[in-house]
Amino acid sequence: MKGDTLGIHGGFRVDSVTGATAAPIYQTVSYAHKSAQGLAEVFDGKSPGYLYTRLSNPTTTALELRLAELEDGIGCIATSSGMAAIASAAMGLLRAGDEILAAAGIFGGTVSLFENTLGRFGVTTRFVDAGITEQFAEAVSERTRLVFIETIGNPRMDVPDIPAVADIAHSVNIPLVVDNTVTTPFLIKPGEFGADIVVHSTSKFINGHGTAIGGAVIDTGNYDWAKGRFEDIRKVSEGMGKTAFLAHLRNLIYRDLGGCAAPMNSFLMLQGLETLGVRMAKHCINAKELAGYLRSHRRVGWVNYPGLGESSFSDRVVKLFDGRGGGLLTFSLVDKERAFGFIDCLRLAKNLANLGDAKTLVIHPSSTIFHEFSAEQQVRMGVTDDMVRVSVGIEDFEDIRGDFEQALEKTFEAGK
Amino acid sequence: MKLVVNGQQVDSKDGLTVNELLAEQDVKMPEMVSVEVNGRILKRSEFEAKRLSEGDAVEFLYFMGGGHGTE
Repeated sequence: MKGDTLGIHGGFRVDSVTGATAAPIYQTVSYAHKSAQGLAEVFDGKSPGYLYTRLSNPTTTALELRLAELEDGIGCIATSSGMAAIASAAMGLLRAGDEILAAAGIFGGTVSLFENTLGRFGVTTRFVDAGITEQFAEAVSERTRLVFIETIGNPRMDVPDIPAVADIAHSVNIPLVVDNTVTTPFLIKPGEFGADIVVHSTSKFINGHGTAIGGAVIDTGNYDWAKGRFEDIRKVSEGMGKTAFLAHLRNLIYRDLGGCAAPMNSFLMLQGLETLGVRMAKHCINAKELAGYLRSHRRVGWVNYPGLGESSFSDRVVKLFDGRGGGLLTFSLVDKERAFGFIDCLRLAKNLANLGDAKTLVIHPSSTIFHEFSAEQQVRMGVTDDMVRVSVGIEDFEDIRGDFEQALEKTFEAGK
Repeated sequence: MKLVVNGQQVDSKDGLTVNELLAEQDVKMPEMVSVEVNGRILKRSEFEAKRLSEGDAVEFLYFMGGGHGTE
């Protein structure tokens, strides 16, 4: 089945008891078993079954199966947030003394997780320019245990050469973890380009309506855990084969961290997936239109949208995303004062910390998501004081353009 | 034909599909199972059409979480 069909039918067809066509919300903490022996066997891993919603839940299972099918992966674990997904994947791979090799221009929360939180446990992170593949090759070391990139760096908007970075990771037998949040499987299935693990914040385009927080970890099946550099996962692979990493997470890391998906949120993600294909197409069209409009506006300094023909990443956008540049862009408005003034003048677009909503969203990254980082760190991440980030929604484009036009006019009126 | 299912030798009818094997073996919670054939995890969409061959090694795997499970 194709993506548009899997988004609707993947993982769940009809409820076997009632015939319900929407996945039932199993709003339960636990699951009764008929016998003490039966429950003991499930606990012991000798028999499949639901035990406790922190481990698994039928509504969340439907979401996991659908996401795994959409990413063409071998399995998925849904989490309480995108950060919980990245934390689970990273902590499943890393030990004190290990290194992460990561793209520099990625989500500030991920940078903080790697540098600050995991840094407290003896993990160090090397950041490199995602656009310059050679930097990955130079920075990878014997201590590297995880290579991490975003398909399009948020907010730097740089596009790594995913197959080349995968080759570098694999040259030292290390998995490549790719955050596919801003592109979704409708623009790219990173596993087809060599990624080993795909992570998502499902709160963004997958949910699509700003109604629930969630995340996901998907194993693409590319990495051979039985021959990998992770002794504990190698051991798990003796019983669990190719699903060793997911079993390692489910039965240890994810279980112990407690970042489980809420059943209601899993339901909302399933709803979002049903329309993701058509929404992504419209996000991409509107974003490209808005990028073109802003580029031609005399008050706008620069526009950073990888889907523009003049972008230095346009070749990779064609190769990796079939020419579609996603729904996110950044642009410059002289300085922080004008950027703030513009945001305050918008009527339709919402000023908030999120992306991937059906609504058009804006934010001034430097003073919000990245406010805790030093000026030097912000430069490394591609964040500047004059920069506004836009998550372009799926409203009628003329209404988006009209809103931006009136806000730009007001910001610069009377020769300001 | 002979198959090796979860490490045990099993006699099955020739050319049966993965879905038929799941039913024949009375596999619990088939919607949750990951099926590995000769070291390769099958996509769920393959269960219906994939026919097994003499000597195939089949593993039924669940990573839905137990207490200490496989760790």
